[in-house]
Order: sequence, then structure tokens, then C-alpha cells
Amino acid sequence: MKKTSFHIDRETRAGIGFLAPLLLCLIGLILVPVAGTIATSVFRDVPYLPKTFIGAANYVSLLNDPAFWRSLMFTLLFVLVSVPLETVFGLGIALVLNQVFAGRGMLRAAVLIPWAVPAAVSGRIFELIYNYSYGAANRMLALLHMEPANWLGSASGAFLGVVAADAWKTTPFAAIILLAGLSAIPEDLYRQARVDRAGTFQRFFRITLPLLRPVLIVTLLFRTVDALRVFDILYVLTGGGPGGATTSLSLFGYRYFSAGDFGYASAATVILFGIAFLLSLVYLKLGGFSREIR
Amino acid sequence: MFLSAAGCDEACSDRVVFAVGGAPSELEAWEELAADFTRETGIRVEILRRPADTDQQRQSLILALNAGLSHPDVFLMDVVWVSLFAESGWLEPLDGFDPGPFFQSVIETVDLHEGKLVALPVYMDGGVLYYRRDLLDRFGLRPPETWAELLKSSLRVQNVLREKNPDFYGFVWQGAQYEGLITNFLEFAGSEGGFLLRDGRILLDLPANRRALEYMRDLIRKYRVSPPSTYTEMREEQARLYFQQGDALYERNWPYAWSLHQSPGSPVRGKTGIRALPSPAGEEAVSTLGGWHIGVSRFSNVKPQAMAFVRYVTSSQGQKKMVLRLGWNPGRQDLYFDPEILAALPYLAELKDVFRQARPRPMVPYYPQISNIAQRQINSALAGHIDAGEALIRAEREIAALLIRYGKPARTEPGE
Repeated sequence: MKKTSFHIDRETRAGIGFLAPLLLCLIGLILVPVAGTIATSVFRDVPYLPKTFIGAANYVSLLNDPAFWRSLMFTLLFVLVSVPLETVFGLGIALVLNQVFAGRGMLRAAVLIPWAVPAAVSGRIFELIYNYSYGAANRMLALLHMEPANWLGSASGAFLGVVAADAWKTTPFAAIILLAGLSAIPEDLYRQARVDRAGTFQRFFRITLPLLRPVLIVTLLFRTVDALRVFDILYVLTGGGPGGATTSLSLFGYRYFSAGDFGYASAATVILFGIAFLLSLVYLKLGGFSREIR
Repeated sequence: MFLSAAGCDEACSDRVVFAVGGAPSELEAWEELAADFTRETGIRVEILRRPADTDQQRQSLILALNAGLSHPDVFLMDVVWVSLFAESGWLEPLDGFDPGPFFQSVIETVDLHEGKLVALPVYMDGGVLYYRRDLLDRFGLRPPETWAELLKSSLRVQNVLREKNPDFYGFVWQGAQYEGLITNFLEFAGSEGGFLLRDGRILLDLPANRRALEYMRDLIRKYRVSPPSTYTEMREEQARLYFQQGDALYERNWPYAWSLHQSPGSPVRGKTGIRALPSPAGEEAVSTLGGWHIGVSRFSNVKPQAMAFVRYVTSSQGQKKMVLRLGWNPGRQDLYFDPEILAALPYLAELKDVFRQARPRPMVPYYPQISNIAQRQINSALAGHIDAGEALIRAEREIAALLIRYGKPARTEPGE
């Protein structure tokens, strides 16, 4: 790169020119709605009451609302269980698909199918598995001469049922991103390691994992943010029940939003946004991406 | 979207946009009714098809009206939204309409806002009990008059039938966490003397409500006359299918299930009876009022045409078409005496009394929020997470917090 200021200036200007459309899109599609939601969250915004500025009152009410805490705890627990599960399974699948074997291309495509299914549809699929009277799971129990189970009938059962459905759907996503990361690792490194008599585990922990780290962090980041705003699979599969046990923050906010309480719903959404934002920062820090750019 | 909105001022100045959701057959019937109206008046009607899901319909209407959009001009409202829409100032008064031929109790509790008529019922609903006439005959039983009788006969019949059909249950109803749970709860509670709103106060933690909720829970968990999936899966359609497959003796549902039970190919065709829900000895049955009401948007640019359409839909002629086409329960009381309708739908004669006495859910604008809270807690009690009393106490506490947030004092009656 030449160091004459004129040259950099021109390059910068061109860079700005290239970035401008994207920046405008980001401002219009992300910044404005987020700012709008934050602005709404400080009002009592209900159609049949005068719109009043109430400062942080919606947030204070949320913190005193047991239903809010319950959905917050559910959401965090959902992220904590489903994201590692999906990443570990995804990594396993990616390692297999990264080997050379006959029919690999077909298998790679097949693995993606659950990811291609819309969440609402995969919710329906799992409903057909868990359904009490005609579900596949209870049919299997019947074949084993066992009593039918109400799979989504307890808080823990509903939680595990939802996690299983989500893992089925999103593991392929983790697998494909990790596979891309794996294929970027030069084959030479493994060959050299083999010459140095490094075993399979050594190669995995000394070569694969460290070199995969940035991609792994990106996968975790995507999955975490996605899992935080889990909505459709719950809406379809459990409706947030039983007894509100599987109501995520998104579903909690949606219930108030669809009932016309825009302020309260916005406040809940802003908290969700804040959590996602903070976790993203943590991941970016862990990934050391800013260092690499410099 | 943009194109139609921009080009609308001239192009559709005379077009009435009517938002309506429902099953495909219902939407088709609306299209036909609108076409008839256009033939008679020359006013064009555009049917804006909404999702069948009630909550999604409400959301899309709230968003349009909250933004003051001029479309839709006319829309259908679930009976429990009318208060919200009226209090928000979204409904144009239906001046010059005669509410005389409609159910008076419904007009008074639902459609009058600050003394003005703001909506009219086009479709009536109320909870009813379906029973298997063939099974009751076989066991020498009569349809149950009281909830205790229902339980007793359920136990007796299911004990015998389960030997051959392990999936057989005495009584199916709506217990999943959704609006239908509240309509069911209010029927159980109402026949115990319980309620949700009285003298403008939301009250849940009452001995009668507690007894009702314990009875509901015991139907599932203690007597096992209702399937374990009642509180996870049972909505209207799930209960209807369960009964229709021949796996239940009794079913609580809305009247729509009748024609489906009697349709060709239904295993319970000709074996089903319908009657009012059980009640305490000597008292009238309590049924929750449901149904859909039609209203005109205050933001409409074509109010005279919109009014003409509402007049047509609510006319004797318009309602009759919908009744004969869909097996509907009309909002007009006079049609329940119409010989042609009674010949096609003889059960309407009995339903008339159910509707006349049906109890509305609380007519307050924040009903969706209190319902969400109550659904969650009541469902929690059915799931066995907490006991009935605790569920009602928690629900009442959450509702109280909600009302404080809305700046509502203890008296909460709107607009009175």
C-alpha cells in the first residue's frame, strides 16, 4: 500500500462510497426500528389511554412482574442448554462431513434439510411426534406395551421437548458453518503432525480446535442471538405453556404487543435486545476479531 | 402495498374494504355475500382476508387502527374486543340502525358504548354440551343436568368402554393455555356462582372460582375422565376431533361442531345429542358468550358505503344467506323463528335460549391482558404446578399490578 495521503484519501472516499448504501440500509432497517422501540418503551402506549411519557416505569413494572422473570429465566436457560448442544452436535457432523468418502456431497445436502424447513413447520412436525393421542412417540411406547406419556405436560418435559425440536432444526446450521471453517484448515498441517506422530486427539485439540476458534465463536454468536429470540417453535408447539413454563421473552413481548400494550411490549423487547447486544460484545471480545482487523 | 395505498384515493374512493378472517369456506361465503351486495347497490367491496387465528386477526386490526389507516373500512370483531375498539375511539357510531331484532342482552352488554350503538352481532356463540345418545341409551342414562351427574355417568361409561378402547374418556373440553380455557373456566365457575368481573372489579380469588378450578383439575388428574392432554393440547378442534372419532362420551364446544359431527363420514353421525351445559340443581345453565360483531372504522373515507354494507350484512336477508350457507347462528333473534331456517337447522330453536342467557366475559378494554394472565395461572393449576387457590391468588395479584400500571383505581368499569 502506498503511503501518499492523496492516494489514501481517494481510496477512503471510494470505500465510503461503496459502504454508503449498506450503511444507509443498516441505519434504515436496524438503527431506526431499534431507536423507535426504545422511544416507545418509555411511554404508556395503549390505544384506549392517553399516550403518556412515564420514563422508566415500564422497566420498573417489568422487574416486578413475576411472569417477566419467568420468561427471562426460561430464555436464558434455553440458550444455555440448546446452544452448546447444537454446537457440539454440529461440530461432530462437520468433522464427519469433512472426511473424504463416497456420497459425501449427497450427505452434505441431506444434513441441511432440517435447516431449510421453516420453524413453524418443524414445530408442527414435532407436534405430530409429541401428540398424546396420535403422536409417533406414544405409538412407539404402545408397541413396547407402555402407557402413553403426555410429553409436553410438565415444565421440564415441555422444556426438553422444545430444546429437542430446536436442536433438530438448527444443528445443521452450526454444522455447515463449522464445516466451512474446517475446510479452510490447510491439509499440510495434519500431514506434518502425522509425521511428528501426533495422535487423533492431539491433532484435534492442537490443530483443529485452535484454528477453528474464530469460526466456532461466530457460530456460537449466531446461535446465541437466534436462540435468545426464540419464538415460532414455541408459538406452534406449546403456545408458551403449560402454565407459561415455555414463554420466551419474545413470546412474552408478543402477547402484550398483540393486545395493544406497545409500551410494555417494547420495554421487554429492549431488555432482550440489551442482553443480545452484551453477549455479542463478549463473543467478539473472545474471538479477538478487533485485534485481527488492526 | 405502497402502490395500492397511493393509488387508492381516486381508484377506490367508492370501494369498501372489509377485513374478515376464518376458514376458507367462511371467506368464500363472505365473497359471495359481498358480490350480492355489489349487484344490488353498485358499491364495490374488497374482502381483506385475515388469518384464521383470532389473536393474529386482533393484532392486524389493532396495528391498522392504531395508525389511523383508512383501511379496512369494515371489520369483524370477536365479542371480547369490542370494548377495546370502542374505548380506543376506533368505532363509528351506527346511527340510524335498529338493534331491536337482535339479542337484547348482547346489544346492551357488548354493542352499546356510552349510550351509542357501535357494533352489531353477526354471529352468535355459546358453550354447549354434546353427548353420545347411543351410549347413554345403552347404559340407561339421561343427558346430565348437573356437573355431578356428568362426572358420575362419565366414570360409569368409560370404565366399561376402556376395556376395548383404552383411549376412551368421559368428557373432553378446552383446557390448553389460550382464550378457550377462560371461556370454559367461566362456565364451570359460573355454575358454582363464581365470576371474573363484578361491580367493575376484577375478582378471581373467590371460593366458587376455587371450587370450579379444583373440579376442572380433578376431571383430569383425580377422576381421569378428561384426557391428560386436556391442558396441553385441547382447543376447540382437538376436542371436536376427539369426540368425533368416538373416543368421548361428552364434549363441551361451540355450536359449530354440530354440523361437523353430523356430516357424512363422521363416526358419530346420528348418535350425537346437543343440549345446554350442566348447571346446579334447578338453576339455569351458564354458558360463555362468544361470537363476532361487525363495526365501521372511524377513519374510513367511505362511511356511507360502509354503513350500507353493514346494513346489508346485518339485514334479515343477508344473515339468512350466511345461516343457510354456513350453518351459522345469526345475531338476529327473529331468524330463530324463521321456518326455512328451522327446517334446515332445527337445533337453533334450543340454542336461542343458550344465547339469550349466555354470559359475556368482562367487557373491559384490557381484557386480552387479564385473559393472558388468567390463562397462564389457570393452566398452571391444571398442569398440577400449583394448587387452584394459589393460581387464582397469583392471577389476581398480577392483574392488580396491570391495572395500577394503567392508572386504574379499584373501580375499573370503563365508560360508565
